[in-house]
Amino acid sequence: MNMTTPIEQREFRIVGKSVKRDDVLEKVTGEAQYTGDIKRPGMLYGKIKRASIAHARIKAIDVSKALAYPGVKAVLTHQNVPRVLHYGSPHPRSASCTKDQYILDDKVRFWGEGVAAVAAISEEIADEALDLIEVEYEALPAVFEPEDAVQPGAPLIHDVGPGGNLVLDPVRVNRGDIDKGFSEADFILEGTFAGGRPHPAYMEPNVCIADWDGSNKLTFWTSTQTSFMVRGILAEVLGLPLTKVRVLVDHMGGGFGAKQDVFQHEFLCALLAKETRRPVKMEFTRHETFVAGRSRHPCRIWLKQGFKNDGTLIARDMKLVYDSGAYGSHGPGVTIVGTTAATSLYRCENVRLEGRCVYTNTPVNGAFRGYGVVQSYYALDIQMDEAAERLGMDPAELKLKNVVRAGDIAPSGHPIIGHGLEICLKHGIDVLNWKRLRSRDRTPDPKRPQIRKGWGIGCEMHGSSAYPGIKEQGNATVKINEDGTVTLLTGAAGLGTGAHTALAQIVAEELGVRFEDVGVIHGDTDVVPWDIGAFASHTTYLVGTAAKMAAGKVRAAVLERAAMKLQVSSDEIDLCDGKVFVAAEPDRAMTVSEAMGPSRGIPAANIVANGTYEPTKSYSFAAHFTEVEVDTETGIVEVKRVVPVHDVGRVIHPIAAQGQIEGGIQQGIGHTLTEDYLIDKKTGRSLNAGLVDYKMPLSMDMPDIETIILEAAPDPGGPWGAKGVGEDPIIAIGPSIANAIYDAIGIRFHHYPIIPEDVLKALREKGA
Amino acid sequence: MRRFDYHRAETLEQASRLLTELGDDTFVFNGGTDLLVEIRERLRRVRNVVDIKQIPGLSDITYDETRGLTFGALVTVGRLENLSLVRQRYPNLRSALASLGSIQVRNRATVVGNICRASPSADTIPPLVADGAFVHIYSRTDMRVVPIAEFFTGAGKTVLAKGEIVTGITVPPAADNIGKAYLKHGRRKAMELSTVGVAVSLAMEEGVCSDIRIALGAVGATVLRAPQAEAMLRGTRLDAAAVRNAADKAMEECTPISNVRASADYRRDMVGVLTGRAIKQALETFA
Ligand SMILES: Cc1cc2nc3c(=O)[nH]c(=O)nc-3n(C[C@H](O)[C@H](O)[C@H](O)COP(=O)(O)OP(=O)(O)OC[C@H]3O[C@@H](n4cnc5c(N)ncnc54)[C@H](O)[C@@H]3O)c2cc1C
Repeated sequence: MNMTTPIEQREFRIVGKSVKRDDVLEKVTGEAQYTGDIKRPGMLYGKIKRASIAHARIKAIDVSKALAYPGVKAVLTHQNVPRVLHYGSPHPRSASCTKDQYILDDKVRFWGEGVAAVAAISEEIADEALDLIEVEYEALPAVFEPEDAVQPGAPLIHDVGPGGNLVLDPVRVNRGDIDKGFSEADFILEGTFAGGRPHPAYMEPNVCIADWDGSNKLTFWTSTQTSFMVRGILAEVLGLPLTKVRVLVDHMGGGFGAKQDVFQHEFLCALLAKETRRPVKMEFTRHETFVAGRSRHPCRIWLKQGFKNDGTLIARDMKLVYDSGAYGSHGPGVTIVGTTAATSLYRCENVRLEGRCVYTNTPVNGAFRGYGVVQSYYALDIQMDEAAERLGMDPAELKLKNVVRAGDIAPSGHPIIGHGLEICLKHGIDVLNWKRLRSRDRTPDPKRPQIRKGWGIGCEMHGSSAYPGIKEQGNATVKINEDGTVTLLTGAAGLGTGAHTALAQIVAEELGVRFEDVGVIHGDTDVVPWDIGAFASHTTYLVGTAAKMAAGKVRAAVLERAAMKLQVSSDEIDLCDGKVFVAAEPDRAMTVSEAMGPSRGIPAANIVANGTYEPTKSYSFAAHFTEVEVDTETGIVEVKRVVPVHDVGRVIHPIAAQGQIEGGIQQGIGHTLTEDYLIDKKTGRSLNAGLVDYKMPLSMDMPDIETIILEAAPDPGGPWGAKGVGEDPIIAIGPSIANAIYDAIGIRFHHYPIIPEDVLKALREKGA
Repeated sequence: MRRFDYHRAETLEQASRLLTELGDDTFVFNGGTDLLVEIRERLRRVRNVVDIKQIPGLSDITYDETRGLTFGALVTVGRLENLSLVRQRYPNLRSALASLGSIQVRNRATVVGNICRASPSADTIPPLVADGAFVHIYSRTDMRVVPIAEFFTGAGKTVLAKGEIVTGITVPPAADNIGKAYLKHGRRKAMELSTVGVAVSLAMEEGVCSDIRIALGAVGATVLRAPQAEAMLRGTRLDAAAVRNAADKAMEECTPISNVRASADYRRDMVGVLTGRAIKQALETFA
């Protein structure tokens, strides 16, 4: 292990233990309040009229019938909402956003885009009123594939940005000398790869409630990962100071990254409430979460790599094209992160990368767990497997030879502290007895002769925090109460991952109180310290460190006060489980509550401390070992067993970390085998915007997952060396499945999802 | 969700009258697992629903060796699925029942609702067709019994006239020499609508197939029989070659379409694979 800053080694009381989550009782009893559960007196319901065309000018829009419909209170169109060009993902500290949205425009850029909004006394009436709005469109030629969108003369979707339907100027990365690299290569592999359009399908559809009070202050409940960003953009677009916008978010049913945009319905909800002077709720249907939510960027990749006969990777040339859909959203960030990620994973001195992000007349793609890297590492890892095949080498051996190691520069451009990929791979190879697996008897089972089995490995690394794209900052406030209990104030959203539990563990550990004595206040922008949002696998790493800093200050203040009361110097005493005692004489002790309270001549204490942390970035690593069965008659691929080996630095809550890994694998299996949000390439209509035909694997489809979490390569930037785990598991599973399919049937797939029809067709072509 | 009016009928007569008198866009409301989804997804215009769940006498299940199995319109998929009689005598129906939706859906959904919805992919229809079931239909003027194969007139369409209500289904008895299977093809193991479903019922006499019915789901507007494939198998020992040829024939006999779930070609291929596998599995009943 190579570390520049020493990581404190200690016995832990709370960290590393799977304490009972603070939200578990509320959730299992159904008491937990989600935004959709909230009702306000006099509340109206908002609904959005969606375009039935993919690219058009609105020539006329007639809302008179809708306005006259009994129960309808307001109708908004592009003619009566503020026209402010704004970001879809207004990260306040990021350079990589695109200002390309209006609340409502006189132009439609994708089938399903909102063109008008209604508020009515019931959801049903609002819904019925939508049919009474008459929109006259002037159809424009539309483009549904990036290849078509970048052709000269293709219809332009936006008149902002670099032009030619590019969301941003191409991202270029050059390291070393690519031509020299290829000239020294013994052989070259070249291939194209394609990723579909998986959708996060979080359990809780997008929902918000807007309520203006008599002082013209907006209170806004919304299911968001980024409440301060929502506050900022609402204030900007509505022309309000930040004191007049309060954003609230309590429990959430997931987000997976996609809930870090600011959505059209959020502005419309606020404006409908303003217009009617009544609270308004807007809740997406499942259909709308597809059409108006965010999915993963479909991606086309061309990858050419040069290898030496000893397996050394010597040149990498890669072009990536991400399909942004109709708006920029996270396109720039995804393109930058996904492209630069390809500088790494497998070390290579000579690299040339080019990433593009292209507008098309399709629903918007945004941030989603794995953020551009799912796509690029799918290509890198599969081609590494192909190189092993070409060399007649075990892929495990070749991957081990080439994986990033200590001293290598991270995609973010800074050296990584705590490299764990090599150890993850080695560990999996040992645990599974990989050599024996490779040389196993491959004769099909006579009872199921059509079944072929295969094993594959997929590798990944992923950063915690969005540095350097976003200069991040984590904040926490810790207060200690007079009875010795502690309150943590944090802006970090709780998507359902258990993040608040981990933060409370960190505070309790650092401060020296019991876990049960820490309460967490979150999700109220008027109360908690500023927060950047819950994304980039960074909450525990970033906010966890800030919370630890704040807790450390509170601890010092408590010790100082207790020392005064015990009449010793503060370095002679210790604080543990809510008790302060003289280290050398443990009987000379007092509870924290006694230390805090008033005593003769000393008034009660008020101890509050802030922690602010501005990190760079840590990287987490994983190698997934996956077994599949391929039915050669139906083409069905079944994942039977996954052994994911992850290095996440210090584990704060083992069950929560394991849950992230298992969930990521489930989602990743879906992306690789069954999930694809399909858009009709003639009309731009959504073909499967719903859970009937968008096929996510369910619990019955899950393989055995034997999660192994190593604490091999901690990063000093996180609390006691903790790193992120949220996104990692979804990245490695895909290539591990594709590689396992190859091992089973000798066919390489370069795309996802790999559906049964593809497998059957390929088997036929191969003549099997 | 669109608004609609709810009516509860206490008798078949009253239900039938409501269905006629409330005019168009009035439908029987049974388990509601299809109807409510169709209303919510705006797939069907509904002004009135007539709940038949309080009508007495529609929840019975009976079996006798001459008539077979009879169950009422209100019998849920879950109830039938858990009957040992169904497990032993109607393994094809049982397999369809157990594959329908999830436990929660099966506790609510009815088999009669499944056939009245007449979806090309409905899971219980192929085994009922393969078994030669009968549908009992009430109207205020008479009762009629229709062979299930004649019940469907198109995708989502049945012979039911306005005011008619299905009261139950009878499935003929299953003799000891009859083997059955239902295989469903989808991308998931549960909560999945079938891409293709194949049901087989076959009778063996002294090692020779004396009768066989093959019913194909989700590869036509209605569930189809494969009469030529069946003819090729009658009188054979159902050896591998005969089964292979018949499965190829069944592929020719089906009329699948392409949609988001699968292409027509793939569906056709799966008819071949599943027909072969279903026959094999049906034969294993004797093993
Ligand atoms: C999550 C989910 C999963 C599902 N999975 C499957 C699946 O795997 N396979 C499958 O085949 N289906 C599936 N379905 C569809 C549905 O559950 C079945 O078709 C079910 O059997 C319908 O029965 P029901 O009693 O709920 O019908 P209802 O919804 O009450 O009625 C369905 C239709 O039949 C009519 N009807 C009902 N009873 C009568 C009667 N007695 N006389 C005349 N008309 C009548 C109704 O008017 C309506 O048109 C699923 C549905 C859901 C919601």
